[in-house]
Amino acid sequence: MTNTMILSWVTFLYFGAFVFYLFRLVFGKELWGKAAFYSVLGGLGAHTLGLLLRWKESYSLGIGHAPLSNFYESLIFFAWALVLLYVIVEWRIKNRSLGVFVLPVAFLLMAFASLAPNISNRIQPLVPALQSNWLTSHVVTCFMGYAAFTVAFAIGIMYFLRNIPLFGFIPEGDILDELMYQHAVLGFVFLTLGIMTGSVWAHYAWGSYWSWDPKETWSLITWLIYAVMLHARYVRGWKGKRMAVLAIVGFAAVLFTYLGVNYLPGLHSYLQS
Amino acid sequence: MPKQKNPFWSFFASVYLTITLLVFTVVLSIVGTFIPQQDAAREFAQGIPPGLASFLQTMQAFDLFHSVWFFLLMLLLSLNLIVCSLNRWPLTWKQFRGAPLSGEEGLFRGLSPERIFLCDENVGTMTGRMEGLLNRKYRKISKTQEKEDAVIIYVERGRYSRFAVYVVHLSLQLLILGALMGAFWGWEGYVNIGEGETADAIDLKGGKGAKALPFTIRCDKFIVEFYKNGAPKTYRSDLTFLKDGKTIYQGPLLVNHPVSLAGVRVYQASYGSSPDGRASLAFVRAGQEEKIIKVGPGESFSLPEKEGTVQVVRLEENLMQMGPAVKILIRSGQGEVSFWVFLHIDKIREMNPGVTEQVPMFNPSLFKPYVFALKGMEERYYTGLQVSRDPGAPLMAAAAVLMILGLMGTFFSSHRRIWIKIQQLGGKTRISVAARTNKHPVVLEREVRQLAEKIKISLEKGST
Repeated sequence: MTNTMILSWVTFLYFGAFVFYLFRLVFGKELWGKAAFYSVLGGLGAHTLGLLLRWKESYSLGIGHAPLSNFYESLIFFAWALVLLYVIVEWRIKNRSLGVFVLPVAFLLMAFASLAPNISNRIQPLVPALQSNWLTSHVVTCFMGYAAFTVAFAIGIMYFLRNIPLFGFIPEGDILDELMYQHAVLGFVFLTLGIMTGSVWAHYAWGSYWSWDPKETWSLITWLIYAVMLHARYVRGWKGKRMAVLAIVGFAAVLFTYLGVNYLPGLHSYLQS
Repeated sequence: MPKQKNPFWSFFASVYLTITLLVFTVVLSIVGTFIPQQDAAREFAQGIPPGLASFLQTMQAFDLFHSVWFFLLMLLLSLNLIVCSLNRWPLTWKQFRGAPLSGEEGLFRGLSPERIFLCDENVGTMTGRMEGLLNRKYRKISKTQEKEDAVIIYVERGRYSRFAVYVVHLSLQLLILGALMGAFWGWEGYVNIGEGETADAIDLKGGKGAKALPFTIRCDKFIVEFYKNGAPKTYRSDLTFLKDGKTIYQGPLLVNHPVSLAGVRVYQASYGSSPDGRASLAFVRAGQEEKIIKVGPGESFSLPEKEGTVQVVRLEENLMQMGPAVKILIRSGQGEVSFWVFLHIDKIREMNPGVTEQVPMFNPSLFKPYVFALKGMEERYYTGLQVSRDPGAPLMAAAAVLMILGLMGTFFSSHRRIWIKIQQLGGKTRISVAARTNKHPVVLEREVRQLAEKIKISLEKGST
């Protein structure tokens, strides 16, 4: 399958970009930064192509559906959304330091999708529960949310490392703080939409808009953590280090919602194949 | 507000309380995902020491999300939200209504040089020019005469966004209310209906007994289709809904496409095949044509020419790991003979040569001159339906819409206020631009920069 081949090449491009961002930090030459950004752009282009081809291939197999239906496809889409957001951030703030924190996450997601032994990269037909128009909107909103939270997390990590001399050209604390907050907000709105579309779908598929399935419960936990974070900022004026801690805690909840709950029994079992 | 001295009021007006309650909700939810809940809890409780199990039972830990604890948390959160909202309301209302025309103290102090312009025209002309610049973007322009030689123009945008956060909190109240309505007046249950059978009651979830339905459901047919790779493709029940013997609705029920009738929703949840189905039995008399007959357990039929009667004694889905089989008993003039007829007889013979000779019970041609064969088990499917009613659902939908609108207003809109002061200063006219926002200073900064750019261009044009 062409798409999986393209997507495994994308993995290397993201790894290359990460290494270039690292070189940029170590050698302090903007040339490396440029090389990194072009690798990211090339990777994102190929990634998009890979996703579209996979979509098309599913139609030629006669089981056409958006490539958002199993664990492999969710990892690939997660990485895509993350890199897309990253490109927008780099372009907006005209600063490349965040790349060294975001790209390794994108690379790991892609590598995990291609290499983990029990993840099937085959295009599979949709089982009856997944045959719904809500599938696309639910998965897209959830993973856009996860991607935004990942960017906020990367900024949170950066916030703690900004005083180490090696990371000399990280933007100043205030910009980081604002950017972290913006991504927490973006993630929060997308997660809210994700939970809602999921609820509507569950209302049609499972007979109840909310079943306290572990994934549902953990998405609520994640939502509440970010709600606390946003309130702490709006009402109590929390900034800087405390917000960075919350961004990291929130991301841990995101990871558990995405991966951890698969080890708990529940309804969201589509991701186990 | 006079109520502020009331200790009850100030307790509930605290945002620390909100954060504490949210943290408690998080902790309770985490516990709820690690201790098996509801149906899964029963098995779990048997595997732990009885003392611990009964303690957890008393603490309602096996149904945490419907426990007193959770209910209490939601109640406190709801009260907290109401009090906080009421507490902040007067200030919000003031900020919404009152356009402080002269702005606050020191509004025009310490402005950056890019926000100050000087020109030769008089105050009146410049006021007109400024109004002309503003009325393209701002709906309402207010103007006051400050002192004798100064005018202040005031414009604003996004005034209504001050209410957005109240909309979000209102949506949360509706969410809690909708969930309560569902918990008190809603129900959920399951029923299995075999093909051709009817049901007029369901088993409520959590072993809470049976519930009569306002109609009768008949399963006319159940169909399951598979993809080439063996994954299920379609589950479909053809149902007829009857009331007082009359059909009120007839149609297919598919996953993701529930049927809603009389306030009750019916979902395709599962399926199965009943083990006491029927067998498709073939027999052939030497030299004659094969006949196939469908029989269920206990049923019997006669062989041609009254050579005997055949009764199906047992029907097995999988006999001794050799696949489906039926045991038949043949009564004839020669007495009774009984043996098993297998579906996969050829394969069994291949694997165990001579088995039918050694074990007469497995020989399908034991009753001569007939040979029997099992063509297949007539699987009778049953459909598993989930039936539920949730009067809170429309409220939840309304709450969801409100929440999204509210979040948009809260996060992506702000109340931006701009004051332009035009005053006579030593033979020149000075224009200064001051602005305030309740959030997102970057957005305001951009807006003011654009406005300053326009003023600059307008002044350059005016002077040439």
